Amino acid sequence: MIQMKRHMKIATFLGISALPGFLLATGVGFAAEPAPSGTESAVLTEAPAVPPPLTRRHATNVVVNLEVKETTKRLADGVEYPFWTFGGDVPGNFIRIREGDTVEFHLHNDPNNKMPHNIDLHAVTGPGGGAESSFTAPGHSSRFSFQALNAGLYVYHCATAPVGLHVANGMYGLILVEPKEGLPPVDHEYYIMQGEFYTLGKFGEEGLQAFDMEKAVDEKPNYVVFNGSVGSLMGEHSLTAKVGEKIRLFVGNGGPNLRSSFHVIGIIFDTVYQEGGTAPTHNVQTTVIPPGGAAIVEFTAKVPGNYTLVDHALFRAFNKGAVGRLTVSGPANTLTYSGKQADTLYAGDGKPAAPASKLQAAVASPVASTPITASLKPAASGQTDIPSASLSAAERAQFERGRGVYMQTCFVCHQANGQGVPGQIPPLAKSDLLMADKAGAIRGVLQGRNGEVTVNGKKYNGIMIPFGQLKDEQVADVITYVRNNWGNSGEGATPQEVNAIRKANPEVAGKLASSPFE
Amino acid sequence: MKTQLVSLFLTASTLITFAAGTNPAHHSCCAPGKEATAPPATLSDRSLYQLDSAWTNDTGAAIKLASLGGRPQVVAMFFANCTYACPLLVYQMQQIEAALPEALREKVGFTLISFDTERDTPTVLHNYRLGRALANERWTLLRGSPDGVQELAALLNVKFKKDSQGQFLHSNALTLLNAEGEIVSQQLGLNSDHAEIIRRASELAAR
Amino acid sequence: MNGHGLMSLAALLMLNVGLSGQELSAPAPTSGTPADMVLIPSGVYRPLFRAASEPKEVSVQAFYLDKFPVTTGEFLEFVRANPRWRRSQVKPLFADQSYLKNWKADLEPGAPLNAAATDVSWFAAKAYAQWKGKRLLTVAEWEHAAGAGTTRPDGENDAAFRQQVLQWYTTLGAAPGPVGANPANFWGVHDLHGLIWEWVLDFNSAMVTGDSRADSGGLERGLFCGAGAQGAREVANYPAFMRLGFRSSLNANYCIHNLGFRCAKDL
Repeated sequence: MIQMKRHMKIATFLGISALPGFLLATGVGFAAEPAPSGTESAVLTEAPAVPPPLTRRHATNVVVNLEVKETTKRLADGVEYPFWTFGGDVPGNFIRIREGDTVEFHLHNDPNNKMPHNIDLHAVTGPGGGAESSFTAPGHSSRFSFQALNAGLYVYHCATAPVGLHVANGMYGLILVEPKEGLPPVDHEYYIMQGEFYTLGKFGEEGLQAFDMEKAVDEKPNYVVFNGSVGSLMGEHSLTAKVGEKIRLFVGNGGPNLRSSFHVIGIIFDTVYQEGGTAPTHNVQTTVIPPGGAAIVEFTAKVPGNYTLVDHALFRAFNKGAVGRLTVSGPANTLTYSGKQADTLYAGDGKPAAPASKLQAAVASPVASTPITASLKPAASGQTDIPSASLSAAERAQFERGRGVYMQTCFVCHQANGQGVPGQIPPLAKSDLLMADKAGAIRGVLQGRNGEVTVNGKKYNGIMIPFGQLKDEQVADVITYVRNNWGNSGEGATPQEVNAIRKANPEVAGKLASSPFE
Repeated sequence: MKTQLVSLFLTASTLITFAAGTNPAHHSCCAPGKEATAPPATLSDRSLYQLDSAWTNDTGAAIKLASLGGRPQVVAMFFANCTYACPLLVYQMQQIEAALPEALREKVGFTLISFDTERDTPTVLHNYRLGRALANERWTLLRGSPDGVQELAALLNVKFKKDSQGQFLHSNALTLLNAEGEIVSQQLGLNSDHAEIIRRASELAAR
Repeated sequence: MNGHGLMSLAALLMLNVGLSGQELSAPAPTSGTPADMVLIPSGVYRPLFRAASEPKEVSVQAFYLDKFPVTTGEFLEFVRANPRWRRSQVKPLFADQSYLKNWKADLEPGAPLNAAATDVSWFAAKAYAQWKGKRLLTVAEWEHAAGAGTTRPDGENDAAFRQQVLQWYTTLGAAPGPVGANPANFWGVHDLHGLIWEWVLDFNSAMVTGDSRADSGGLERGLFCGAGAQGAREVANYPAFMRLGFRSSLNANYCIHNLGFRCAKDL
């Protein structure tokens, strides 16, 4: 096969290079760097891992072998998508080189692939960023070379027509060009890349999904995720660090369409290299990363706990999957962050709270079950239960299971003894509304409740959030539990009943297999 | 009446034969139901001269591509009515010709192959040669069948398409073949740096 | 020759022009549709890439088209009759090392005989077509035939059909299956979508560089000789884009696991 090389005119200014500003700019001019010596093979990693920092202090010839693989993988629980990937994963492999390196780039197109592909690396100075020189049919390889003239964190992506489709299917990744003197050492480096997915089915709709072109053109994705799938950085895949450790995140945005407002809840970025460039900003809460762009953020973990990474365009975080987690372990640091110290009654109009003894009695129960304290000590189970005497054996089993559901979710507002919070949250214990309207209660659990309700003669005007992600069995169990507890006695609920009500209410008909942030 | 019919019949059969000769379906490679005649056994596997297609030069003589062998060839595909890049392409070939050391110039061939199988007749090509003073000993101008053109373009990696006005859109490429007809190097696009082709052509000519 | 003879000569000239497949106002069908082929009536094709000055629609003359892609069994007959196209004898210039790579031996296919013949190069496909007294079809002919939906000749106005086609391009399949498994389109042709990519005669007619951003902006004058700014006109037709992209990535000797072909014949 003929080597079809475009004659790239690369202007190389020997002896003068853009001052890498990862450290303070000192204004020192650099003498001409010697030509690259030696050859090495680039170490490529899958997100969130990053290749180790480079230790060499000279430019070299780096050989990069990147393979394109079209492969069906998990997009969310129960949801599969036919991804097109660099290196078998979304995002593509992380490439780490040094300013001044000459890169010999090999792009391999797996013979089992359907489509031709190429690559545009934003680190390349030359037409198409390499795209023209790497256009490759399935079962073939292309090769081209480039010089890494500028330091920085750069996106790479496929540029074969139609580009939007290739990128929307996951063909993007990051290439880091370390400045000549390297990056300051940190304890952890992680690789995160945001991207959207446009599917024919709704968010969470199970099965093998296909690309929806209309949604892509309208820029209305179903999924906005980090690292190619919902939950990729949650649960056992959470990022980890210890108190006191310095963390650096290489964050890219593959798009294809949306800008990311990258924020880590509870963290301030000490340093941000905005857009992956070399001028640092400090003390940043949220940094904007355009599609086709990247940023480097650095911070130190100071307080133990869970920190949620989000795109701060909130509906993307909570309804489309743009959440990740960083778990920091280590000794408490209550000076920097104390956790909740008090929870007292507030009567409105700036009036002082009730006297101490009355106050203590009034708050004893609520304090024991606020979210913060509850997370430190699980609520004592069963102590406040008063199960109805008329439960059948089956209902009793439901009661026991229902307690488990209640203690995980409902008790936070309705309290362990079903009392609610006077004036704020209606009680369940001896509630006339709960006992009179079982279907209404089931609907309330599934889709939430909004607007005024009257319970035992008192009006409540709050919002109950939906719990549609609970399974039919779980809803049936918890309804049985509350309707037969604390002085209540009545019919429990069956999973079939719950399912019928779920189906009759279209907003919750598309059951979420799992909550996006669990 | 009878003689008229006979002469009509003869003329008709000549015309039909001629038409068949330019029929794109006709190709000596694999005639229907017959085994193909293999090209000369001495050609290397990578030689473009394995193409057995029929061509005509600007004097009307029948030519096989293999006759271009024996010396390196700088090859381009063009068409005579082109008002865009082809004149530049030919001019570049002339620059390469001039840049070759005199002793070697004799030993390198320059070949132009036309896309325009309809309008670029031998006469048109001959006028083109005269108009640009292309030396007889070195320059070959060829026209062939649509099928032959399609095959050669495919091997030279030249893209082309005929538009509604009968003009040809095509990629600008200069290809250097060695004496055996193998592709040695290719220059895409109209840039002025012929150093590579001149160097390699000289190398080959010096052997 | 007198005037009468001259007129007959003129008539013969016109007839010859027709025989060589050039311009003809009304096709004269010969002895009926050949076996396993269908008649694709004349129509129009909307080029994906053209200059603004070029017409939006290109007319396509009627022609006969194979109902199915060429099968492995049919290709086996071809190599049996033409030893120079057997895997052990074919020249690399005309077919690369992937030629018939899944065949166990020169005359022993690796796939069932009714599977589409793939891993064949453009030269091999052309040689087969000519051996059968047929030819490869042009991009315009292929796109015209493939533009038909299942129930109507204008597939682009059939949303369900368009979605189905897009789905094939964006999902991953196993090895190509047997020909004819899916329903025929409006003209009675099977497997133009959903089975394999197909060679066409002028696969190298797309003036693209492979960098789609550069290509969509207009013809790169330094690289390509041609009139006017070539640009992509039907930007919403993703499958057509992907076909254009795929064809432009090919060289004539490439053999790819999901690339096969079918033949056409003049009326």
